[in-house]
Amino acid sequence: MSDTWTITKRELRSYFLSPIAYVVGALFLGIGAYMFFQIVFIEAGRAAEARMDAYFGRLPMFFLVLVPALAMRLWSEERKLGTIELLLTFPVRTGSLIMGKFLGALLFLSVLMLLTLIYPITLAALGDLDWGPVIGGYLGALLLAAAYLSLGLFVSSTTQDQIIALIVSVVVLLLLYYLPGIAAFFLPPALIDTVMLASPVVHFQSIARGVLDLSDVIYYVVFCAFFLFLNHVTIEVRKWAG
Amino acid sequence: MITVQNLVKMYGQVAALQGITFEVPSGQVVGFVGPNGAGKSTTMKILTGFLYATNGKAALEGIDVRENPLEVRRRVGYLPETNPLYTDMRVDDYLSFVAEVRGVKGARRRAAMDRVVQVCGLGTVFKKGISELSKGFRQRVGLAQAMIHDPQILILDEPTSGLDPNQIVEIRDLIRSLGTNRTVVLSTHYLQEVEAACDRIIIVAQGNIVADGTGEELCARLPAGALALEIIGPPDTVHGKLKDAFTGARVDMAPQVEGSRSTRFHVVFASEPDTDAREIAHDLVQANGWKILELKRKSASLEDVFRRLTANGAAAVSAEPAMAPSQEGAIDV
Repeated sequence: MSDTWTITKRELRSYFLSPIAYVVGALFLGIGAYMFFQIVFIEAGRAAEARMDAYFGRLPMFFLVLVPALAMRLWSEERKLGTIELLLTFPVRTGSLIMGKFLGALLFLSVLMLLTLIYPITLAALGDLDWGPVIGGYLGALLLAAAYLSLGLFVSSTTQDQIIALIVSVVVLLLLYYLPGIAAFFLPPALIDTVMLASPVVHFQSIARGVLDLSDVIYYVVFCAFFLFLNHVTIEVRKWAG
Repeated sequence: MITVQNLVKMYGQVAALQGITFEVPSGQVVGFVGPNGAGKSTTMKILTGFLYATNGKAALEGIDVRENPLEVRRRVGYLPETNPLYTDMRVDDYLSFVAEVRGVKGARRRAAMDRVVQVCGLGTVFKKGISELSKGFRQRVGLAQAMIHDPQILILDEPTSGLDPNQIVEIRDLIRSLGTNRTVVLSTHYLQEVEAACDRIIIVAQGNIVADGTGEELCARLPAGALALEIIGPPDTVHGKLKDAFTGARVDMAPQVEGSRSTRFHVVFASEPDTDAREIAHDLVQANGWKILELKRKSASLEDVFRRLTANGAAAVSAEPAMAPSQEGAIDV
């Protein structure tokens, strides 16, 4: 556990030193602010109460690029620099390395999301804010980010090119994002509901409505566990292949 | 103590290691030399657990690298060939991170960092970013990283590559001093370096160990030296008479240089003649009324041993041209 934390701290430090993280962070906060004020000044004028639905509604699409951009370097860079040879010869389990990287990136994302708390606080000051969906929205956003991150981390472990890691992750996440639409187009109606359950976005929407269903949480945990496991497999397989 | 038994590593269809076996007792400094692609780095990567062997066993301090990799890694300090470093970190932060990840914590970490900074001469760059450092200092940071947990075994893959001659001597002295109470395995391309820094030399070629012993032992494997001569006289006659005088030796004649009155000859002995070869050469020149401009005796060097052994290996496995070392100069003893 302390090994994991050591790796997490290094990743966090690395994010705070990396220009890419600042660019991504600034974009996240900048576009977020734009979306937020659009809601406040245009949509909120028509609504009876202060809401952040529109903001959270766009978050999955937003995360789809943001999270892979933060995840792309996690393994690719280690492979490119050769530092993976150090990491894998430290007396640390592969699992601890993976968890350390995962938590480091997740914490950095959490910091970004904490900064956006200024939006609901502003809204609450201006009007009557229903905190239920907001808390649900943040919790869902964290789980969604974790899921995207586990996928991005896995993809990053398969290449030493960060750009390839980014593109592949975004494409896969796009497919998952449009899964409900694609399913509705191709599959018989009986199967659509089942396929819908595989989409991370569907579960996010359910949590963001302010309804915390255990099955949604379990979905994200299983999603993350699956890709973290695949990550473990790619690292171990490379020890055989060279 | 390192034990390696019949280690095989395949990269796809290519055998990087073809079943090597050796043992390094505690406290010995061993130098791995061999052409590029001979299997030096692969062996080190298996010993440190970065790669798994296709077959065979490797154990450090009696602990199998596959059965208990974490225990092995705790006891080993490793400097990979490319000396990878986190270039976004400062030297102090980097060493602190490595110490922590290696379980050197609290007051011990402070002491360990002071020790490696002193031993590796990092005092002046301690607070600098790694990306700002020269190659020599980076190499020292890599060494400091490998030593921070005071390991019993050090595995250093080309620790002096890319350094200037002064730095090479410094690092070599450092390794020598480390080797007084530690097991050190290092690889290098510089033969003077292994002769100077190592108790024992292992020459690898084409994934096999082709020689193993002290520098003197290896040189003794080449039976005798050679004689370099420069003589004024009718070249073909001189060539013939040299051949007669040194039976069993190979006598080469250098191509005639335009405008030069002399010819160079090279005599390579299969075995040392009873009489001093220089005396025989002198008498021959005097008896024929030629003139001798140069007479030099060469003894077999480690370089000769290396060339001969690794070139033979190449001939035997010529099916792998990509991995074959240059054969140039293989006969030039």
